[in-house]
Amino acid sequence: MKTHPYLRAFLGGLFVPVLVMPVLLTVFLVARVGLHVAIPIEQALIFPMAVVPSLFGLWNMFWLSSHERTRLSIGLHGALLPLVLMPAGATTGFAFGVLKLAATEAVWFGAAHVPYAVIAPMYLAAIGGYYLVWKYVIGFLDRELGIA
Amino acid sequence: MMTPDERLVMSLRSALPKQDSPQEPSRDLWPALLARTRERPSAPWFDWALAGGVLLLLALFPATLPVLLYCL
Repeated sequence: MKTHPYLRAFLGGLFVPVLVMPVLLTVFLVARVGLHVAIPIEQALIFPMAVVPSLFGLWNMFWLSSHERTRLSIGLHGALLPLVLMPAGATTGFAFGVLKLAATEAVWFGAAHVPYAVIAPMYLAAIGGYYLVWKYVIGFLDRELGIA
Repeated sequence: MMTPDERLVMSLRSALPKQDSPQEPSRDLWPALLARTRERPSAPWFDWALAGGVLLLLALFPATLPVLLYCL
């Protein structure tokens, strides 16, 4: 398997979001249909379904093209992705009415109240989680696909 | 009359220490080498601590979970 390394990198990057997406869809559907939480599901699913998987694939391609120059490990490279994803997700959510900003908190989906003080720990959790996922899951896939 | 190659061999032999018997390891090293190439490196303590920290943060702030699922 010596050909098309970027295609393999893209497909390896897609693996995690493709696994998480049905879980996310189930959570949203249970909350909306089962628990009757008024979540604007159509707007809420645009970002995670249309943007996140492609960005994972592209981010893995970016690592493949850059790691010989930057010497950045795949874990650290993946840990940088929330710095792109979270502002993009917040902007998209704000544009589609999924996110509303109040005086002291951000209200997501009209149900999840997140105080502004919690945003920093949330960011840290995202960066830490991404470091581990990229190091152990996507790193493993890249080795299996012969690109790492 | 010695050829240059034979002189070179003689010089090399005289420069190197003599060995009465070939030096062999006391045991077969191949199985140990094979086992070492097959063993998977375990995760460092830092990664376990990081995983614990992430889970702790999510447990402390559960309202952030749907937001993280949405953004990430």
